[in-house]
Amino acid sequence: MSRQDNAAGAAVVLAYRDVHKKFGDFVALAGISMEVRKMEVVCLIGPSGSGKSTLLRCTNGLESIDGGEITLDGRVLPRDGRGMRAVRQRMGMVFQNFELFPHMTALANVASGPLTVLGLPHREAERRASALLEKVGLADKAASYPANLSGGQQQRVAIARALAMQPEVMLFDEPTSALDPETIGEVLNVMKALAEEGMTMLVVTHEMSFARRVADHVVVFERGSIIEQGPPAQIFDAPLVARTRDFLSHLGWEG
Amino acid sequence: MNLDWSVVWDNAGALARGTELTVLLAVVTMVLAVPGGILLALMRLSRSRLLSGASASFTELFRNLPLLLVIYAAYYVLPLALGVAFSPFVTALVALGLNVSAYNGETFRAGIVSIRKGQSEAALALGMSRWQTMRIVVLPQAARRVLPVLASTWVSLFKDTSLVSVISVGELAYTAMLIRSRTFRVLEMLTAMAVIYWSLGYPQAKLVDWLNRRFGVSE
Amino acid sequence: MSLDFSPVLQSWQFLLGGLGLTLGLAALTVLCSLVLGGAIGLARCYGPAWLRLPLVFYIDSMRSVPVLVVLVWTYFALPIVTGAVLPPFWAGLIALTAQIAAFMAEIVRAGVESVRPGQTRAALALGMSRVQAVRRVVLPQAVVRMLPAFGSIISIAIKDTAIASVIAVPEYLNRSQTVAGESFKPIEVYLTAMAVYFVILFPVTRAVDIAYARLAHLGRS
Repeated sequence: MSRQDNAAGAAVVLAYRDVHKKFGDFVALAGISMEVRKMEVVCLIGPSGSGKSTLLRCTNGLESIDGGEITLDGRVLPRDGRGMRAVRQRMGMVFQNFELFPHMTALANVASGPLTVLGLPHREAERRASALLEKVGLADKAASYPANLSGGQQQRVAIARALAMQPEVMLFDEPTSALDPETIGEVLNVMKALAEEGMTMLVVTHEMSFARRVADHVVVFERGSIIEQGPPAQIFDAPLVARTRDFLSHLGWEG
Repeated sequence: MNLDWSVVWDNAGALARGTELTVLLAVVTMVLAVPGGILLALMRLSRSRLLSGASASFTELFRNLPLLLVIYAAYYVLPLALGVAFSPFVTALVALGLNVSAYNGETFRAGIVSIRKGQSEAALALGMSRWQTMRIVVLPQAARRVLPVLASTWVSLFKDTSLVSVISVGELAYTAMLIRSRTFRVLEMLTAMAVIYWSLGYPQAKLVDWLNRRFGVSE
Repeated sequence: MSLDFSPVLQSWQFLLGGLGLTLGLAALTVLCSLVLGGAIGLARCYGPAWLRLPLVFYIDSMRSVPVLVVLVWTYFALPIVTGAVLPPFWAGLIALTAQIAAFMAEIVRAGVESVRPGQTRAALALGMSRVQAVRRVVLPQAVVRMLPAFGSIISIAIKDTAIASVIAVPEYLNRSQTVAGESFKPIEVYLTAMAVYFVILFPVTRAVDIAYARLAHLGRS
C-alpha cells in the first residue's frame, strides 16, 4: 500500500478554514483553506513573501491570526498563552536559520525541550537526545557547539531537537534555504526518511524536486492566497492554473 | 518645609549666563577634541612606532583617570609647570579637551579599523595613495560609524562640564551652588539646577538614541 | 622645578584609608547597580507595558543629568525633603547607584535585544514558556555579550567615586585635596593620585578591551 492511499482516508490533523492575517496594511494571508492529513507530507510552494512561512508561524501560534480558524485534531487552536504552549509541544518546528542555541552543545540543544518543557530527568533527556542525534547521523557531534558545525549539520541537529518533543506534526520553514548547495542533500535525506516513517509534515520549500518526489499534496501560494493545490503529479506535470505554470517555469522547472 | 521658588526667578539672569557658559564650554571642547581625536587616531594607526606609542600612551592615560582629578591637576600643575597663569575657563578647556580627545581618538580609530581591509586594498589597487585611500574611501565610511559614538560622547561632555565648577568656572553648576550658599534656598536652587540640566540633556539623549537607530551599525 | 614627595609619604596611612574607601564605595555601587539595574533592564524588556514608560523616563533622566548634580542634590536637598540627614558615604552610594543602575539597565536591554528574535521563537516553538525562553535561551547568550560592559561599569564606578569628594566623602581624591592643602605641595600630591588611579583603572579597562575582542563574536548565531 502506498503512502498516498494511506493518507487519503486518514484523519485530518491540521485544518485551515478561511485564515486571514495582516501586518499593518499588508495582507499576508487572504483566506487560506486547506488540510493536512495524518502521515501526509504537504509542501507549500510559491514566490517569496506569498504567505507560506506566515501560515507556518500562525500554525504554532508564533503569530496570531486575524480571521478564520485553524484546528489541530479537530480542535480550534487556543488563543491564550498556556493553551498555545500545550499545542506547540505537539508540533515540531524547524527554522530557515536553524536557530540552534549557540551556548549549548548539539546534545544539550536536542535535550533542551525534554529537560525544560517536559521536565525529564537529565539522564533520560540525554538518552533520548543521543538516540535522535544518531538518527540524523550526528552521533559523533554530540559535544560540538553549533559554531563548529556546518550548516547542514546544524539543521540536522535542529530537526533532532524538534523531534525530541515527540511531535505529532513537523513544520519545516524553508529548512534548506540558508544552506550551501553541497549540504542541502543531507538535510533533505533526513526529511525524506522521516516522511517514510510516516511523520506528518508541513514543509515550506523552494526545493521543487523534493516536493515532487516526497510530497503527497502540494499547495501553491501567491500573494497570501492559494492559487492551486493537488497531488505533485498534477502541480508539476499538468498544472490547471496558468500562474502555477509561470511560477514553475520561472524556477526553470521543466516537469 | 517652607519653599520659596521666587529665588529661582530672581536669579534667572545669572542661571541663564551659567547655562550659556556650560554650552560654550562643551562646544569649544568638542571643536578642539574632534581634530585632536582624528590626530590621535591617525598617529595610532601610522607605521611609526614612536607616533603610535605616543598616541596609545596619551589615550590610555586619560581614559584611566577620573576627570575631576585631571581638572584639579590642570589647575595646580599647569601654572607651575608652564610658568603662566591661566584663567579657570582655559584650565577647564585644557582638562576637558585632553579627556575628550582621548575618547574621540578611540572612536575614530575604531571607525577606521572597522572598514574592511578589502576596501582599502581595492582603493590601493586602483593606484590611490595611502592618504587618498584614507580620505576618499575609508574616512567617509568610518564617519557613519563614528557619528553616533561622537554624539554620546557629546552628551557625556555636556554633563561633565559641571565638574569644572570645582575650580570656580562660572558655569551652570557653579552659579547654582553659589546662589544656594548666598540665599540658603538649598532645595529650590539645587532642584532648579537639576531641572535645567535635565531639560537640556533629555532631548540630547533622545537625539543620540535616534542617531544610533538611524546610523548605528549592529554587526 | 624640584619635586618633594615627602608629604605624600608622611600621610600614606591617611591616603591609603581614602583609597580603601574609594574601592569600598565603588564595589558597593557596582553591586547595588547590578541588582537594581538588572531588575530595571529586565522589567523594561519583559515587564508590563504600564511599567515601561516610567522606567524609560527614569533611565533617560539619569542619562541627561550630571553625576555631580545627582550627588549634590542627594546630599543637600534630599534630607530637606525626607527630614532625615544622610551621611556623605550613604548619599554618595545612593546617588552613584541611581546613575549607574540606569546605565546597567541600558546594558541589559542592549544585551537582550542583541539576541536574535528567532532564538526566542525557537524556544517557544519547543513549548518553553516565556520565562523559560528568557532564562534558558536569551539570558545565557545576552550575559556573555554584556560581560565587557559590566567591566566598564566597574571602571566608571571607580572614576565616579572621585566626584563624591565634592560632598566630602573622605575617599582618595578628597584626602589628596586635604594633604595638598596642608602641605602646599599640590603637584606632588596630584601626580601621585594620577599614578594611583591609573594603576587601578588601567588593568580594568585593559581587561574590558580584551573581553570585547574575545567575546564580540560569541553567540552571534
